[in-house]
Amino acid sequence: MKNLFASLMLLLATAPVYAQAQGGGAHISAILMFVAFVMVTLGITWWAARRTRTARDFYAAGGGITGFQNGLAIAGDYMSAASFLGIAGLVYLSGFDGLIYAIGFLVGWPIVLLLIAEPLRNLGKYTFADVASFRLQQRPIRILAASGSLVTVTFYLIAQMVGAGKLIEVLFGLPYEFAVVIVGVLMTLYVTFGGMLATTWVQLIKAVLLLSGASLMAFLVLYHFNFSFENMFSSAVDVHARGIDIMAPGTLVSDPISAISLGLALMFGTAGLPHILMRFFTVRDAVQARRSVFYATGFIGYFYILTFIIGFGAIVLLLNNPGYFDGSGSLIGGGNMAAIHLSHALGGDILLGFISAVAFATILAVVSGLTLAGSSAISHDLYATLFLKGKHDEKKEIRASRIATICLGILAVMLGIVFENQNVAFMVGLAFCVAASANFPILLLSMYWKKLTTRGAVMGGSAGLITAVLLVVIGPTVWVDTFGFAEAIFPYKYPAIFSISIAFIGIWLFSVLDKSPAAKREQEAFDAQLVRSQTGVGADSASEH
Amino acid sequence: MAAITIDQIKHQPEYLALTRARSRITWTLSIATFVVYFSVILLIAFAPDSLGEPISSGVTSIGILLGLGVILFCLLVTGIYVYYANKVLEPLKQAVVRKLEGAV
Repeated sequence: MKNLFASLMLLLATAPVYAQAQGGGAHISAILMFVAFVMVTLGITWWAARRTRTARDFYAAGGGITGFQNGLAIAGDYMSAASFLGIAGLVYLSGFDGLIYAIGFLVGWPIVLLLIAEPLRNLGKYTFADVASFRLQQRPIRILAASGSLVTVTFYLIAQMVGAGKLIEVLFGLPYEFAVVIVGVLMTLYVTFGGMLATTWVQLIKAVLLLSGASLMAFLVLYHFNFSFENMFSSAVDVHARGIDIMAPGTLVSDPISAISLGLALMFGTAGLPHILMRFFTVRDAVQARRSVFYATGFIGYFYILTFIIGFGAIVLLLNNPGYFDGSGSLIGGGNMAAIHLSHALGGDILLGFISAVAFATILAVVSGLTLAGSSAISHDLYATLFLKGKHDEKKEIRASRIATICLGILAVMLGIVFENQNVAFMVGLAFCVAASANFPILLLSMYWKKLTTRGAVMGGSAGLITAVLLVVIGPTVWVDTFGFAEAIFPYKYPAIFSISIAFIGIWLFSVLDKSPAAKREQEAFDAQLVRSQTGVGADSASEH
Repeated sequence: MAAITIDQIKHQPEYLALTRARSRITWTLSIATFVVYFSVILLIAFAPDSLGEPISSGVTSIGILLGLGVILFCLLVTGIYVYYANKVLEPLKQAVVRKLEGAV
């Protein structure tokens, strides 16, 4: 392992030279800060690797993370580069529309806290499939939950990989493929050797860096306007091509169905993201789980307010400065680079370097969390159920999760390269849509609805999963923008309203129609599950399947 | 837990007090969050222009104020729940757990 680390250090040390050869010499400060971040996190991984022995260490950091630490790590997991660069970029392009995403991404958190976090911690062990299969049949439920998790994780991962490659291409002057490979190798190292403990600390450090960087930028923007929001908004309206229209909803949602659909996907998607749900198993008990969502909501809400200020700052400070635009009059690197250019406008090369390094660190932390969630779905839910047939063999399971991590790493790099020129925004949307249509209904109803049966969960959950993916493929974003057909078969960009309804109706219908003896047993087991989800009594022993 | 069955726990006053208190707070706050959020989403869907109206003589719009309001509302809801859960739900839960453990 030491050799591996040494060769990686060597690879990283050559990065600045490589960058200079590519003509990206202006961003040396960014590369140095990024290399420092990588060194520290690899050191942590090395430390965590020696503390990661059991499955509980690997999947859940031994369950010893405090509520505050976990809150910060959840925020680190959730505040992706897509939300930092994407929301700031959206605000820069069309003002108010960025706020729709910001509130949608945040409003899932009260729901997670009120309905999901505590019972999940009381019932589950490592993945949300543990909860869904608590009183239902292990095999079909685990296969379905693992599929939902893997589809969500894969789409989210592609979006992050492509984002990372593009960002690094622009910032550091490194070739796209080189950047994607660096991200893939680093995330595989963190997860394979350090497991959840290393992943948690990578997220903690990244969250602190991102929150301080964004706070500094928002402070400098507000300082520019004498701390008056009205000054900031009116200057933005003066310079923006759309004028006063940036203060109202614009082009993001074109019709009521799309608006409601997007609203539903953002709210309930959060509560079905496997890498987020997994974080509730790293804390000691339900009290710490509850505390961690409270801190996470605070950090994430604060962060979105900062990105909103940063987006408006970018409108005013960049639009007057031709230096940030290319020959055709559009922002260098596209709208997503608004926050990065703003950091240069506010604090020169040093702040640009810092914010760039933070953005890269952000991508690394998020992909690590995703990879860990994906590999635990494979090893804990699929491998342990299908191949070990539920026999408890921890050593084999950990080995399987390490192999799964390496495979996911390779897959992520390949998909990142294949999808280089695809629009990635829809993939994040698709990940949220699948999470809201397949994972969330199964999880919610398994915890709160007595009459749920295995047949209902499997039929309704698969229907939700398939509908979500299918409607996106035949909708405008893929059918027209990607495949190049003239007209979409399904007219709406965001299908969540249909796929979520199909999932809930399907689960309800097939559960009430199910009169089998198994269904009766599953319904009778609800009370015992409820006692456990409410009180946490027997939280550890009973889940040793 | 053999000495005490799930059926008995279900009818214990301590357990009933806990589940009632928890349902009341979680569903009230969940529905409130849902209503607040979807009021804004429905305004975006059906009356986007109304959100562009300035609050006073300036340019800051009702939409911006509502958006920031929803973010603060989320913080408020999570704050209320955590406070209530620590003050009310935890002691109720401890009472149930003590009784369960006493029966083992």
